[in-house]
Amino acid sequence: MTGTAVTVDRLEKTLGPNKVLRGISFEAHSGEIFGLLGPNGAGKTTTLRVICTLLAPDAGSVEVLGFDTRVAPREVRGRVGVVTAEIGVYPRLTARENIAYFAELSGVVDGALNRRVDTVLERLDMREFANQRAESLSSGQKQKVAIARAIVHDPPVLMFDEPTSNLDVLASREIREFMVEAKGRGKCVIFSTHVLHDAERLCDRVTILHQGRVVASGTTVEVRGGYQELEDSFLSLLETAR
Amino acid sequence: MNAVWIVFSKEMREILRDRRTLIAIGFAALATPIVLFVISQVSTRTASQSYTVGYTGEIPAGLNILFSSTGLNLVKVDDPAAAAKQQVDIGIAFTASGVDEYYDPTRQSAQIADVRLQTILSRYDAAKIAAALQQKGVDPSVLNPLPVTVHPLSSPAKAASNSFLSFFLPYILITMSLTGGLSAALDTSAGERERKTLESLLLTPAPRSHVLIGKILAVTAISLTAALAAIISMLVALSQLNFGGSRNGTLSVSLSPLAAVVMVWLAVLLAASFSCLTIALGTLARNFRQGQAYATPLYFITIFPASIILFIPDFNPNVGYYLIPILNAVLVLRDAIIHDAVAWGSLAVTTASLALTGGLCFYAALRLFTREALLVRS
Repeated sequence: MTGTAVTVDRLEKTLGPNKVLRGISFEAHSGEIFGLLGPNGAGKTTTLRVICTLLAPDAGSVEVLGFDTRVAPREVRGRVGVVTAEIGVYPRLTARENIAYFAELSGVVDGALNRRVDTVLERLDMREFANQRAESLSSGQKQKVAIARAIVHDPPVLMFDEPTSNLDVLASREIREFMVEAKGRGKCVIFSTHVLHDAERLCDRVTILHQGRVVASGTTVEVRGGYQELEDSFLSLLETAR
Repeated sequence: MNAVWIVFSKEMREILRDRRTLIAIGFAALATPIVLFVISQVSTRTASQSYTVGYTGEIPAGLNILFSSTGLNLVKVDDPAAAAKQQVDIGIAFTASGVDEYYDPTRQSAQIADVRLQTILSRYDAAKIAAALQQKGVDPSVLNPLPVTVHPLSSPAKAASNSFLSFFLPYILITMSLTGGLSAALDTSAGERERKTLESLLLTPAPRSHVLIGKILAVTAISLTAALAAIISMLVALSQLNFGGSRNGTLSVSLSPLAAVVMVWLAVLLAASFSCLTIALGTLARNFRQGQAYATPLYFITIFPASIILFIPDFNPNVGYYLIPILNAVLVLRDAIIHDAVAWGSLAVTTASLALTGGLCFYAALRLFTREALLVRS
C-alpha cells in the first residue's frame, strides 16, 4: 500500500427529498482494492458519483490525489476511470472508435492516441472485435469496451460500480482479474458491490454503508470479525444499525 | 485536439451511419420534386382536360367552333338540367331569347366548364355585336370608348413564379431546417441517455459546454444540408417541370443571387436555432420517444408563418413583426424573392432576433446539460 489516493470527509448529499449520504468518511489508497459495500440504496453509487465530480457535495469534501472535487473537477476527472454496470456504448462506432473517442476527450494527444488504444485493446484481448461496430458485440465484449474507455487515459484511480451485475460467469471473472492486475500496477481500485463474496476475495479494505452512514470500516479481516464469512458480519452490522 | 472538434467529428460519423438521418436527408431532397411533379401532372391535365356540355335547341352559327377549340364537347340531351347533375359537366338550353345554363357548383368539373362557357359566350357576343355594327357602317370601337393598354412593370410570368416561390421556399426552408436534423438532435441528446453513454461522456475532463457545442454544430450541419438539398432539388425540379396552368405554358422559376445569399444566411440561423432548441428538448427527455413527443408541437411553428404569406399575400408588416422568430425569416425571404431586394434594416433585426432566440435555446440546453438532474433522472 502506498499513499492516499481518495479522501472522503464527512460527505453529505441530498437528492430530491432523500438524504442519501449522511456524513460518510473514508480513505482509499494507491495499490489497493478498496471495497464500498452495502445493500441497494445505501449510497454507494452516489458516493462514487461525488468522487468523480458528477455530483457536487452538499457538505463535507472529497479529494482525489490532492485535488478537491469542487475546486478542480476537471483535474479530478482526468485522474479517474469509472466502470459501471451500464455498458452503454455508441452502437454505430466500432469498438476501437468508441475507445479512441474517450481517449481524445480525456486529453490523450494525437501522437499517442493509436498507441494507447492499441495497448488497451491488447491488454483486454479485444483485437478480434476491435473493428466491429459496437451494435454487433456481445454483452461481455461491450463490457470490455466500457472498461477500455475508462482506462485508456491510464488513470491512477479506478472505480468499479457493480461491474459484474449484468455479466455472465466468464466475463465477471475477467473483470475481477483486471481489478487485481490494476492493483498490482499501483492503481487505487474502488470496488462498489453488494456481492460480498467478490468483495471478500478481492478487497484489501472495505467500508460498509447503510442508509447513507458508515457502519463499519477496516481491513476485510477486521470487518469480518469473529464471523466465518463477511456476509454474516455484514448482516449482523445491518441488524445492529436498524 | 479541441473537445468541440472531437465531439463534432464523432457525432458526424455517427449521424452519417444512422439510417434514420440519411432517410431524412434523402426524403428532403426527393419529396419536394415528387410533390411538384404530381402537381405539374395534375395542372397540365386540368388545363388540357375536355368537358362535356349537354344541350338542347339549335346551336347558334359558329358557336360550335368556339366550343370545340376550348375543350368543351357538345352532346345532345333531353333535359339539360337533369343531365347536369351527373351525366354531363354542365347543361345548356339554346332558346329564342338566349341561353339557359344548368350546373352543379359542388362539382369542380362543372365550375371549370362554367368558366370556359362564360368566356366563350362573352367572346361570341362581342364578335356578333362588332359584325352587326360593321354591317351598319359603325366602327366597333365605339363600344370601347376608353381602351386600356396594360404595361406590366415586370414579367407577369416572373411575378407568378415569384409568388409561388415566396410561399413554397420559406416553407421548405423552415420545415427542413427543423426536421432534417431532428432525428440527429434527439439521438445525440435523449439517445445518449437512453443508450447509457451519457455518464461516461460527462466523466471525461472535456468541458460540458464544449461537448454541447460540438453536438449542436453537428446537428446544425445536418439540418443545413437537408434544407439546402431540399431547396436545390426543388429549384431543379421547377426548372424542368411544365405547369399547364401558367400563362405561357411553363412556370419560369429561378432564384436571384441576392435571394440565394439571403436564403443561405437565414438557413444557417434557422438551423442553428432549431438545433439548440431540439437538443434542449432532447436533453429534457428521458428517451428518444419522449424527445419526439416534446418536439411534435414544433411542426406547427413551421407551417404557420408560411401560411400567413399564402393567405395574406400583400401583408406589409412594420419592423416589429421582424422581431418574431421564424415569421421574420419568412418575411425577409419573401421580400428577397418577390422584389429581388433586401431591406437591410429588416434583415439586421431578423438576424438579431434569430441569433437571440438561438442564444436563449443554447443557454437552456447548457443549463439542462450541466445540471445534476441530468444523471439523477436517468
